[in-house]
Amino acid sequence: MKVTYNWLKDFVDIKIPARELADKLTMAGLEVVSLEEKAGDFVFEIEITSNRPDWLSILGVAREVSAITNSKLKNQDLKLKGKTTKGDFKIEIEDKTDCSLYSARIIKNLKVAPSPEWIRKRLELVGCRSVNNVVDITNYVLFELGEPLHAFDLDKLNSEKIIVRRGKSGEKISTIDGTESNLSKDVLVIADKDKAVAVAGVMGGKDTEVSFATKNILLEAALFNPIIIRRSRQAIGKASESSYRFERGIDLDMVARASLRAAQLLEEYCGAEEVSFNLSGLNKSKETKIDLDITYASKILGINLAVVKVKQILIGLGFKTKQKSKNILSVGVPSFRQDVKQPVDLVEEAARIFGFERISNSVPSVKSDVTLNMQRSLVSDIKNMLVGLGLSEAITYSLIDRPGLTNSGFEFGVNPVGIMNPLSQDQEILRPTLLLGLGRAISFNLNQKQEFISLFEIANIFKAGTGPQEELSLGIVLSGVKPFFTASGLVKDEVNLLNIKGILETIFKRLGVTDYEFVSQAANFVDIYIQKEKIGSMLCLDQQALNSLGIKNKDVFLCELSLDKFFHFVQLNKKFAPLPKYPGITRDISFILKDGFSVKDILILLKEKGQPFLREVKVTDYYKGKQIPSGWRGLTLSCLYASGERTLTEKEIQPAHDLLCASLTQQFEAKLR
Amino acid sequence: MDINVVLSQIDSEIQNINSSEALEEFRLKYLGRKGIVAELTSAIPSLSKEERAVFGQQVNSLKNKLLSIIAEKQKTLSASANKASVSFDIGMPGIAQEFGHLHPLTQITEEICSIFSRMGFSVVDGPEIETEYNNFTGLNIPLEHPSREAFDTFYLKDYSKMLLRSHTSPVQVRVMKDKKPPLAIVVPGRVYRPDAVDASHSFMFHQVEGFMVGKDIKFSDLKGLLEIFAKAIFGNDIKMRFRPHFFPFTEPSAEVDISCIICKGKGCSACGRKGWLEILGSGMIHPNVFKQVGIDPKKYTGFAFGMGVDRIAMLKYGINDIRLFFENDLRFLRQF
Repeated sequence: MKVTYNWLKDFVDIKIPARELADKLTMAGLEVVSLEEKAGDFVFEIEITSNRPDWLSILGVAREVSAITNSKLKNQDLKLKGKTTKGDFKIEIEDKTDCSLYSARIIKNLKVAPSPEWIRKRLELVGCRSVNNVVDITNYVLFELGEPLHAFDLDKLNSEKIIVRRGKSGEKISTIDGTESNLSKDVLVIADKDKAVAVAGVMGGKDTEVSFATKNILLEAALFNPIIIRRSRQAIGKASESSYRFERGIDLDMVARASLRAAQLLEEYCGAEEVSFNLSGLNKSKETKIDLDITYASKILGINLAVVKVKQILIGLGFKTKQKSKNILSVGVPSFRQDVKQPVDLVEEAARIFGFERISNSVPSVKSDVTLNMQRSLVSDIKNMLVGLGLSEAITYSLIDRPGLTNSGFEFGVNPVGIMNPLSQDQEILRPTLLLGLGRAISFNLNQKQEFISLFEIANIFKAGTGPQEELSLGIVLSGVKPFFTASGLVKDEVNLLNIKGILETIFKRLGVTDYEFVSQAANFVDIYIQKEKIGSMLCLDQQALNSLGIKNKDVFLCELSLDKFFHFVQLNKKFAPLPKYPGITRDISFILKDGFSVKDILILLKEKGQPFLREVKVTDYYKGKQIPSGWRGLTLSCLYASGERTLTEKEIQPAHDLLCASLTQQFEAKLR
Repeated sequence: MDINVVLSQIDSEIQNINSSEALEEFRLKYLGRKGIVAELTSAIPSLSKEERAVFGQQVNSLKNKLLSIIAEKQKTLSASANKASVSFDIGMPGIAQEFGHLHPLTQITEEICSIFSRMGFSVVDGPEIETEYNNFTGLNIPLEHPSREAFDTFYLKDYSKMLLRSHTSPVQVRVMKDKKPPLAIVVPGRVYRPDAVDASHSFMFHQVEGFMVGKDIKFSDLKGLLEIFAKAIFGNDIKMRFRPHFFPFTEPSAEVDISCIICKGKGCSACGRKGWLEILGSGMIHPNVFKQVGIDPKKYTGFAFGMGVDRIAMLKYGINDIRLFFENDLRFLRQF
């Protein structure tokens, strides 16, 4: 909202320069976002918080200035030269909860003309376009006092009666902005006996608009319910300076004063002869009283406030105070401060004007809870492990588009959670998988000509069930050729699913998870199990998915696993196993193996056959290429034999080792080398 | 065996030796356990007394000569070995597994949480899908009120009154309902608001919420603690100010500004010529919030604060477009 320095001076003497005033207002909670010198005046643009509708006026800001600078408000008395009569114009309010007060002032024989220069200038400075003297005066009063007014051309109203009612379905109104709106029971209207003539508190109708031909007017000043104005504004899709103020709440006591102020200006600048003033509804606000204990205020703020100081601040802000006892003030809340409801609200007022900067810092003593947030610590560990393994962390949007999910084939039969009010189709569902976002990140980076991309994300995924479910997941994606140096030169390694397997195994082992299994479901799709529970999958993207992500001539490998499930298996308690007393013997077996046989099956069988001395068997080399027939691969297994009771001899393990070799050739058609 | 023949033989043999393996072979041939010198020595007892003295001397000098020429050859061999190693170039790239990079938002979140952890706060997570109650009503935000407008929210289809949290504050409601004071908690997390995406707006962003509840928690504590925090994260030379503001869930409420870290308070485009940067919102927990969660506001007081992680990361790293955080461009991620 904009206010000007000179306009404020109508209500309060200001002895400090505009710049200094701006700083003081900011530090009192009226943040001045810009200060501009313009046409011999200064324009302050102030951000008004939604709890302070009383600041949406020159008078409201002036009141604040008076409290900050300790000078009294002035020019509070209004008087008309002419005589006011109580007219017989009827006001009919359908529902008093929609409109608790309506006043109609009938003003006759005025001369509509351009506004005087000073009114035009002030309106322009606060960002309001000048129309004519009558309309400008209603706007002038709106900005000055914060109470929206509306002037109807009296001769175009088709009755001696104003009705405040809800709109009817099928009813329409043309408003002064030149558009037509459909009305409904969610819209509050002002009507004559035939039709709606204004959308109450939002915008006037075109038909009854004041024009240069207007002679007589009905000046409306009213108090409408904030919620119905909000709904009306939303229903017709139009907002105005009036609706903005009504939605935030208007001061009941300002209604009659604003009407009188407008009448005074109309009398002075439009030659109006005032005829009558009619009012229907509540005409006086009820004062609320709050007891403020100064020790309570001091305790919350952490300073010692003097009762007199608090009293002085509150009075400056328009509150009434009465000392009840040594430390207790009985505070009367003025009608324009509907936001003040309990003692703590008064504490804020005192602190604000006293100055937050004058409250010195202290440090609280914390009784800290040393329980570890296990999930958080594990997530952090896993992230750091992945980074150590060369992956970078991605953060992708939780809201995604449905077609992207369907086209890439990442639906996996999961029902996603929809968003009721997305801004665009791109945000219509909550993602049921991290894979789409990661796939897109790969595609983006491939377009930047990255040769090797390895990313992960740890975030929630969402699924529709009896309730919406969220599950913490880990997604990993790899693509391209990973270059790395060795002592003998650069090696370029084309990644595949085994790279993802290796990453996962590293994490599993590190977190004490040993009983895991990778089970092939299809050529390019592997499920991951821990103790027979499926916790995730890894896959190589098929052509359809690659096409939908716009990836050409690259293989992309992904995995997703549920961390919520995985965390159940994490075993961080370590236990020491005594070191072997007797050295073991290592024997290698080199052989070639036909494709189609799984090394996993071999290892399981050998472990079983090698009992009781076989302690460990692992792959120490594998090779595919020149010396190996196509359709075969070369493998070397290293077998460690040991006993807990004695040192084994070569002779002792020979039969066991021979048995392993025989099993390999017989059950897996391996050829020993 | 004629000792003189041996002497002439070793001279020619030693010249043809080019490797340490060959030198070792040579040493074994002459000085080994079954070598020539041992053989000659073993002949000594069969000689006459006079012959013994002369021959013994000869064998001894042969042995000494062998030792010295072997030592000499060893020197030249290792010298030439060193010459070969001159081709090693420490200027070549080192060999190690290259690290990846944590997302800058993760790094800032961790930094913020770690500062508060060191001050005794616990880190708590909360769900991203929330109830309308926890997101609004429990926090003293009336449903049909302009104060809601600052918290435009994504609602879920098919689930009535369920939404994506528009701030991390609902976790306050959850924790305070669940645990008894004293409490000192920070809550990091993703939040969502239907904002059109541009350089400074995103429909998904990140916050860290913090709050403390106890029998004697004061506004001055909030000021003191947040100053420690701001200096820890932005440096000791920043200035701070607490500006009165309005949040439905705190009273009194304050926005916290730091002197612009780019222009040092002189006024620049980053701070909108104000010289100040708003970094967080804060205040004393509203008694209405305490009543909603069943904490007696007469017995307990508390403060709460919240900050945008994305904004703090942008300020700290000098990032000018929030969209960069969610593009996951490796050229961006590798800078952190």
